[in-house]
Amino acid sequence: QHYFIQSNLRMSRGRSNLDSKRVSSELFTLTYGCMVAQLLKDYDNPYEVNKQLDKMGYNIGVRLIEDFLAHSPSTKRCTQLEEAADVIAKQGFRMFLGTVPEIKNWSDAKDEFSIILTENPLAEFVELPPTCTDSLWYSNIICGVLRGALEMIQMEVKVWFLQDTLRGSETTILEDSLPAGED
Amino acid sequence: MAVCIAVLTKDNCPLYLTCDKTEDALKMNFLVHTSIDVIEEKLNSTKAANDPRDVYLGQLYPNEDYRIFGYVTNTKIKFVVLEAVSHPIKDGEIRDLFSRIHGAYIALVCNPFYNPGEPITSVPFTKTITSLLRGSYLASGS
Repeated sequence: QHYFIQSNLRMSRGRSNLDSKRVSSELFTLTYGCMVAQLLKDYDNPYEVNKQLDKMGYNIGVRLIEDFLAHSPSTKRCTQLEEAADVIAKQGFRMFLGTVPEIKNWSDAKDEFSIILTENPLAEFVELPPTCTDSLWYSNIICGVLRGALEMIQMEVKVWFLQDTLRGSETTILEDSLPAGED
Repeated sequence: MAVCIAVLTKDNCPLYLTCDKTEDALKMNFLVHTSIDVIEEKLNSTKAANDPRDVYLGQLYPNEDYRIFGYVTNTKIKFVVLEAVSHPIKDGEIRDLFSRIHGAYIALVCNPFYNPGEPITSVPFTKTITSLLRGSYLASGS
């Protein structure tokens, strides 16, 4: 009985903590934007910035997966990549970015697919400077996050950008592939 | 019909100026420049009144061919709109025009790659302003 009351208190405190930690999406977008702009100033080379964003994303991903799993206890173990892709899109992206992407373009071996984002909250109001329009993947941090998060649940994946609205396409497409031999 | 829209910084440096094709850009530049004095005068006089700064200054001064309107934001960014006397726009529409220009400016400033104070070269911003120029033309033209 005593334990039950204690755990109730912890839960309610946890929920109010979550509310007070909510940050406005504009602050988040502006923070990410300034970070990318600063990286570009520091490294001067868009390809290097892409790599750094991927590294940062990886570090975020390995920690974010714990948070994700804690907040979606109903998710069962995925036996196939298709299920995992579904969970990534419908729950993961929705929980952290507020948008649900489409999963399409499965390869024949079912080990590669595309994530299509119709709206990208990271890139709101952003216009790439002409010097890096063809080389900078602005939201490359997402690739790192996916890679890091999936590695923690024993899935080794490669994630890369195919298209970006900032470079003139209509949608943003990420490609995800699982090397052969993994479960 | 709005023939010219200009954006100035708090030091009155021109950031952006666009005019309708039919108008002489140099003349527009000159008129905007002369209106700066009037804006400063209005701002200094309302300081005592302690007005909230997002101020629509209204018509700045009369001219035989054009009417000039001003608008200042809290950050002292000034927008100036020139309107041809031959096709007058209603007051409400002018205020609406200014708030849309302000909105376009906000979207521009949110771009992490734009440094405030730099001359404006952003394509979406210029597109919005050009369509506002043309839009106001369509609204009042018969």
